[in-house]
Amino acid sequence: MQKKRLLACLIIAMVAFIAIPFGTYAADKTIKIGAMYPMTGRAGLYGKDSVAAAEMAIDEINSSGGAAGYTIDATFTDSKAKPAYAVRVAKRYITEDKVNFLFGVVSSGVGLAVTEISAQYKVIFIGTDHASTRLTVDNFQPYYFRVSNNTFQSMAAGALYLKELAQTKPWKKIAFIGPDYSYGHSQWDEIRYNLDRYGVSYEVVGEYWPKVFAPDYTSYITAIMRDKPDVLVSGFWGGDTVAFIKQAQAYGLFDKMLYFHPDAGGNYELMSAMEADLPEGLVLGARHYNNWPETDVNRKFVKEFKKRTGRFPTYAAEGAYAGIYAIAEAVKAVGNPTDTEALVKALEGMKIKLPEDPEGFTSYIRPETHQITQVMALGVTQPNKDYPPAQTMLGDWKVYKAEDLVPPMEYIEAKRKK
Amino acid sequence: MDFSFFVMQAISGLTMATLLFLVASGLTLIFGVGNVFNFAHGSFYMIGAYFGYQLVAIWGVNFWLSLILAGVGAGICGMLAESLFLRRIYGRANEGGFQILLTYCFILIIDDLVKLVWGTEYKSLSKPSGFKGATIFGDIFIPSYNLLIIGIGILVVIIAWYILSRTRPGRIARAAAVDREMVGVLGVNVPLTMTMVFGIATALGGMTGALAAPLRTVTPGAGIEVIIDSLIVVVLGGMGNFWGAWLGAILIGEVNAFAVAFLPKWASLFSFLVMVIVLVFKPEGLFAPKQVRKI
Repeated sequence: MQKKRLLACLIIAMVAFIAIPFGTYAADKTIKIGAMYPMTGRAGLYGKDSVAAAEMAIDEINSSGGAAGYTIDATFTDSKAKPAYAVRVAKRYITEDKVNFLFGVVSSGVGLAVTEISAQYKVIFIGTDHASTRLTVDNFQPYYFRVSNNTFQSMAAGALYLKELAQTKPWKKIAFIGPDYSYGHSQWDEIRYNLDRYGVSYEVVGEYWPKVFAPDYTSYITAIMRDKPDVLVSGFWGGDTVAFIKQAQAYGLFDKMLYFHPDAGGNYELMSAMEADLPEGLVLGARHYNNWPETDVNRKFVKEFKKRTGRFPTYAAEGAYAGIYAIAEAVKAVGNPTDTEALVKALEGMKIKLPEDPEGFTSYIRPETHQITQVMALGVTQPNKDYPPAQTMLGDWKVYKAEDLVPPMEYIEAKRKK
Repeated sequence: MDFSFFVMQAISGLTMATLLFLVASGLTLIFGVGNVFNFAHGSFYMIGAYFGYQLVAIWGVNFWLSLILAGVGAGICGMLAESLFLRRIYGRANEGGFQILLTYCFILIIDDLVKLVWGTEYKSLSKPSGFKGATIFGDIFIPSYNLLIIGIGILVVIIAWYILSRTRPGRIARAAAVDREMVGVLGVNVPLTMTMVFGIATALGGMTGALAAPLRTVTPGAGIEVIIDSLIVVVLGGMGNFWGAWLGAILIGEVNAFAVAFLPKWASLFSFLVMVIVLVFKPEGLFAPKQVRKI
């Protein structure tokens, strides 16, 4: 027994010795990226799509000669959507794997933890999916950059939509429902801030805070219907939207008020999950759409992703794709992936053409916040069978200028002082 | 307060309570009879939801038949889990710790298996025809599907009452809950009884998963979301007490529904508050499980 155990240990040790060097041998000229995405549970879908899109961007760049002669080498680790765990992974990436960039993260909670490690070790962290405005405003640090929209931008677009709506279809009363954590609360604060900023008058008749991933919303639905709002602003995320809509439908909620969900309601996975059950006339928004803008770059991105994975991308994919291109552009400008301070300078104010840019606009990174600044569109659900299994997609787009959506300097300064 | 709103809110609470009870009843049954705390009970609920999705949305099987088949499928998985794995740790020192470790492992394994087979995308099931709309009584508006769920809950309670109190297998199960060894001495095949109870409980969980699929999102991780509330219900009702689970579920469902209506900002606090109050004044739960006489 003892001998067998010893033998087993020896074999494991040998395998480990043989295997480890293969993993860490890197070609001379590589850009090393340490990526973290959740691979399990609810957020696993976004993690999987982010990895697929990042790999797609890496293949495209490497096959056309890399960036400034460097090829991109990314390692992907499951963040388990847990801040403490992701911090350990990030530290290991920096101290052992000597990565040039930290990358990824779906949850804002994880993002807020990893950004501290990035600041502490002075390693650039490219955020691709988490949406909390705190990362670029309150908890801003110079080595953090985000290449997808934050909730402030979505809510500013939402406020402008509601302002226009008031002219054609007067409304007064609003209610809010969203998950009871920072993502939900910041959406509610930001939509009201932006409504005030754009001089829209409104009356709040109710606010509801179910737990994130709660399976049942019926009690909330009947309570919201009692409040009789004209507009229900929703801040749900992921599968919670599917459950809420299915439960609300039979109560006729959507005939009695406008369902308005500008940050994550327009995510493709909602449409693909609900197929023919998704009601028409909901106003939704997302960080990336498969059918807007109708540019060659976006069409090609969606088509290539479908070819690689067999399915249409969720919004998370475009963020990861954009992140890899931003890194490649920065390295091209600086000439190497190791001069961190020069890379920070190159990323600040960088202009980069992305799949979600409409004709005539190029996304850019705002130097004051390191937040990408983009045009945003909101759409209305309508029948469209071009992206199966979805049978309803967004259309009738309203497009908002990038400059109108960013937080003003006084807002940023006030938040950072706190 | 207006009467129709009161009724609608009460029925909202009852719908939630019924789904909660259907999951918690299996959990409490396994605990009562086998003294096993099955952490993975929610995962069998999730398996049932995916089976329902596979049968209805992909193979086009009739919805009602799928409910039963999803239950049977989850029950078979449950019996396999019990007879191949759980059975090996009965009677060990510190059995409780092993139970939690093992059943927690089931959660992770089942989550990954589901991901391998069905992918990570959210899935959804349509309501069966005839239950898509609402039933209207004056100003009271109740989705027909919610009424169906409440009806099925009541049916399960009646069937369970009949089996547990009027049939021989039910009596054996109750006897095994009181003294497993003595039942064995009397010639009953206790391991088989345990496997059957586990199968029935997980089948109930699986059927609930398929039943809830038209209202909820079918996604990996769905099992973990139902297990916490079910645990509150089981503790509240008295660990292992079937009727306690029913009343506990109704209490939690209604407290939650009216907290949402009147104190929405603090709504999620109340179910925990009820649990704390019950545990302080009646630590054994509202309906204490039968005590085993120690010799």
